This record gives sequence, structure tokens and C-alpha cells, in this order.
Amino acid sequence: MGKNGSGKSTLAKVLVGHPDYEVTGGSVVFKGENLVEMEPEERSLAGLFMSFQSPVAIPGVNNIDFLNMAYNARRRKLGLPELGPIEFYAYIFPKLELVNMKADFLNRNVNEGFSGGERKRNEILQLAVLGADLAILDEIDSGLDVDALRDVAAAVNGLLTPKNSVLMITHYARLLNIIKPTYIHVM
Amino acid sequence: MAALAFTPHIQRPPIPPLSTPTKAPKSRTKTRVSLQPSPTFSDPFVLQLAETLEDSLPSSSSPPLPLQKLRDTSSEALLSTPWPSRKDEPFRFTDTSFIRHSQIHPIPHPPHSSSLSGVSSNTQFPNLVVADGYVVNSVNLSELPNGVFVGSMLELSEVSILKRVSEFVSNSDCGDLFWSINGIGAPDLTVVYVPAGCKVENPVCLRYISVEGCDEGSNELPVSNPRVLVLVERGGEIGIIEEFLGKDGQSRYWANSVLEVMVGEGGKVRHSYIQRQSLNAAHIKWTSVTQEAASTYELVEVSSGGKLSRHNVHIQQLGPETVTDLSSLHLSVSDQTQDLHSRLVMDHPRGYSRQLHKCIVAHSQGQAVFDGNIKVNRYAQQTDAGQLTRSLLLEPRATVNIKPNLQIIADDVKCSHGAAISDLEESQLFYFLARGINLETARKALLFSFGAEVVERLPNPIRKEVESHIRELLDPTLKGSS
Repeated sequence: MGKNGSGKSTLAKVLVGHPDYEVTGGSVVFKGENLVEMEPEERSLAGLFMSFQSPVAIPGVNNIDFLNMAYNARRRKLGLPELGPIEFYAYIFPKLELVNMKADFLNRNVNEGFSGGERKRNEILQLAVLGADLAILDEIDSGLDVDALRDVAAAVNGLLTPKNSVLMITHYARLLNIIKPTYIHVM
Repeated sequence: MAALAFTPHIQRPPIPPLSTPTKAPKSRTKTRVSLQPSPTFSDPFVLQLAETLEDSLPSSSSPPLPLQKLRDTSSEALLSTPWPSRKDEPFRFTDTSFIRHSQIHPIPHPPHSSSLSGVSSNTQFPNLVVADGYVVNSVNLSELPNGVFVGSMLELSEVSILKRVSEFVSNSDCGDLFWSINGIGAPDLTVVYVPAGCKVENPVCLRYISVEGCDEGSNELPVSNPRVLVLVERGGEIGIIEEFLGKDGQSRYWANSVLEVMVGEGGKVRHSYIQRQSLNAAHIKWTSVTQEAASTYELVEVSSGGKLSRHNVHIQQLGPETVTDLSSLHLSVSDQTQDLHSRLVMDHPRGYSRQLHKCIVAHSQGQAVFDGNIKVNRYAQQTDAGQLTRSLLLEPRATVNIKPNLQIIADDVKCSHGAAISDLEESQLFYFLARGINLETARKALLFSFGAEVVERLPNPIRKEVESHIRELLDPTLKGSS
């Protein structure tokens, strides 16, 4: 948590490797590797996930294809065979229930025509599908109504295991009522 | 206040005095040229080309009247039309010297049937194969509904259809040098006729194959002039798929084709146009459409071949409440020029039109040109016209010249146009990277989805073929990009 402008989102973007920022000194060690020297896609494959504060729309590429590509990239890294569209759909279907979204959502283009709340839910869906060792959720609760917030929080709780962590950036207490933090960092 | 007599002088091109009462009607075709007292300047190159084309036509049989009339009008026009230069606005960005400096010769005979052996025909739908400008083969035409005619005019015996054809052949007031060259050199006219009220379910495929061609190193350029007339009477509906390809993907040739479409009142024509000519070929195509009241014309174009490819589209609205929908995707993946010059003339109220033009230039010597003109004239009130052009430039020194233009005279209209030229968006690429998808895959996905907006409008039999062709074309372009 922290004041506006204290650098929370900037830190998150630097961790993920956003091209707007250049690291001039220091290092970030994640699972024994220095993140700063890794390309963004390598960092993601190493188990780092960030949900964007304002996710960009990608007209022309639909959700299921996008998720399929990302999932197969991870499978490749682990040396597992890639999943075709039909098998992938079978894999992804139960995850939709986790975030309480309907199946027709998958055929829409990534974030195209989505409201702010829908985009945030899409981010959580991606987290559920791809999995991560460390998930950074940048203001996941902003723009969500009461029901959506409850769904998102339930999804995040469901994804938490003893083996992974979530770093949430937020201003409001209401999310913290549902997801109990283990530790609070203040910037 | 002083109501000054300020009459806005609306500039209209001078209407040629087609027939003054004193002139005898017998030399009707000649009066069109009598605008100028005498041909002030005849381009000797053009005249010689016209002569060569005329000599190549079979002189023995007398051609049907419409063809003869077409040839007469065209040769008159050629007397005073010079070869276009970069100083002429329609060719300001398009360099035609590739054609001009070659040894152009006509193709006097259709290709031998053995040379067509490798060419497969789509046997699912009615289709017609036109090779080097000559109709050579047709499949499944008997499945067409009664009254529909698809074939060469030389085989057209129905007098009523012939009569309609003669009314419409070359009646349009559009055209340039290449239109007239086709008029002189076309050995035949393919007619697609749909009688009133008839809805043709399956699309009719026209495959234009350029068989004769020369090697890359030579200066010879064989020219073919296929010409097609589509006449849809009131209430009729048809889909037309035109595919242009060369038998050899590298040979030199020039395909100069013309398609005229007349859509009757309430009629509907869905036109798909796929251009996959050889990478050393010149391809110039005219599509001239007239739309009666309440008719619909849809054009989906995907052009990826040819060294120099130019598509001229002219659509004239002849009645109110028409619907016109144009989409085109141009790909320049090597040193190619893809050019679309379109003109939509609206003279009647409540017309609706949308135009979407997308182009991808993926080579440093590649070029795309777009000139989209929409004229909303005085009586075209309550017109709703929209135009959007988006270009992707993927290599340094790749060039795009875009000129969207709307000329609006009516004052109660809704018109919009937009243009954007860019590389792929950084933020979108980063989104892919942040999810573990590498740059190459991300670029491929974004490029393909850019074109998909147009490609998905193609009808089903042809869509999958075109999709896989485009994927192939876009794939090698990623090796150089970082």
C-alpha cells in the first residue's frame, strides 16, 4: 500500500520488464535468477505474473487463442506437448467457473469492448489459466462492483496455495476483508 | 441585409454536347470526341499499341454488335488519351514505367489445353475459367437456376439477354487509358446474367489464369484483356468470386481486366476479388458498378500478388437507398506496389456506404497507394458514408501514400473518414510478452489479426484458402524484424 505517486505501479512494471523503464542499478532475485537480466517473456515463463492496472485491448485476437498461445508457451518451456484448441478448451472451461464468467466470453477479442471490471476479471482468468509462482495484482479492485469484487477475491483465494504468492497493490480495505494478507508493505 | 446575389458556382465538368439538333445522328460514337476540334495530341506509343491489339483480333468472323460498338468507342478514346505520367493526378504515386518500357504484345490465341492441365478447378460451385482473356472451361453451370446465363457472349443466343447486354456494355462514363485498351483488345465478353427476382444461391467463381508469360530477364510483356459484364435484373441476387493467378509464380505478363456490374432495383451482388498474380506481373483491373435504387453491392478484395497492381473502382448510384460496402486488404511483401483508386458517386438520397481499406507493407521497397474518393452530390441528402483506412508499415523505407477524400455538396449528410498509418502497437506487443508469448509469435498474431478483419468477410469456400495463403506470406517477414 502507499500514497498516490509513491511508485507502486512503477515497481510492478519494472519487475515485469515494461519497456518504458530502464533499470540503471541493482538487481532483483527471483527463484535464484536475476530478473533484471531477463526478457519480459522469460520472466513470465519463470513464474511471474502481473495483472495490469489498465489492460490494453487487442482487437482481432480472441481470448481463447491468446490464452492458448500463452499456455502453450509454458508447456513448451516445461518440455510438455502443446495443447490443441479442443483440448485447451476442455482445460479452460472449469477455470471460467472459478472467475464466474460465461463461455461466450472466450470468443470475444482480448479486452475489446470490455468494461473496466470485465478487463480485471479477464486478468484473473489469465492468472487462473496460466498459473504463477508470484502474481502481482495492481489495483485489481478498482472499478469493480460489489459482486465482481467478491468473485475476484474468491478466485484469488482459490488460487493461493502454500507454493505460490500474491502481491496485491491496493488502496482500499474492502478487498483485504476477503483476502487476508500475511504481510503488508507500505511504500 | 444586402442579400447579395452570391450564387455559389458549382463546378461541374462540362457536359459534352452529345447531340446538338443539327448534327446528324449517324456518327453517334464520334461526337464524344468532338469536344476537341481535332485530336490535339495522340500518343504514338498508345496508337501503336492500339493498332497491334486491333490486328491481333480475329478478323474473319464479324463480332457481335456490342463488341464492335465497344471496340469503336475505345479506339476513338485512345486517339486522344496519352500514356499516364507521374504528373497526372490519378498516377501521381503509381509508376507505370514497368509496363511502358516493356515490349508489349497481345496474346492472339487462347492457350493450348495441355498447358492448362496443372490448373485445378473448384468443382463445388459453378465456375468459369478464363485463360489469357479467353473463356476456356466451365464447370457446373447447368446447376444454375433457369434464366441465368454465365458464359461467353459468343455463345449467347437468347435475344432478350443480348439486347440487355448491348444496352449496358461500356455505358459508363468512367475509364482511363487502360479501360480503353481493354475495350480494343478484349477478344470476348463474358456475360453473367441474372433475371429478375432470381436468387442464385451458390457463388459463381471466375478464375482468370495468365498462362503465357516471359522469363524475368526478358523485356517482353504479353498482355491479356479479359472483360466481364454482370447484369442483375431487379430483385436478383448473386455472389461473384474473381480469382486472378498466374500459372507460374515468377513469369512476366500484364493482365488488364475490366468488370462491369449493373445491379438492378433491389438487387444484390456480393463480389469477392482475390489477386494472386506472379510477383513479376503487372495487373490492372477496372471494376465499374452502377446501382439502381435500394440495391446492395459488397466488395471484398484481397490483393497480394503482382509487381504492379492497380484496382480502379467506380460506383455510380442511380437511385436512392442503396447500400455499398467495400473492404480491401493489400499486402506488399516484396518490392510490390498495391494501388487502390476508388470512386463512389452518390446522386440520390439516403444512400449508405462503408469503406474499409487495410494494407500491410512488409518490404523496404514495397509500396501501397490508396485514393478513396466519395462524391456526395447535391441531391444525395441523408447520405451515410464512412471510410476508414489503416496501414501497417513494417520495414524502414516501406511507403504508403493515402489520400482519403470526400467531396460533399449536399448539406444534410453523415460522412466520416479516418486514416492511420503505424507499425504494430508497442503496448499490444508488450501484453503478449508479459504473458510469456515471444515476440515472433506476437507479431505474427497481430499481423494476421490485422488482415483478418477483411479476410473474414470472404465467403466460405474461398476464405480458408486465402487465410492460409496470407499466413504463409506474413511468416517469412518476421525473420528480419526484431
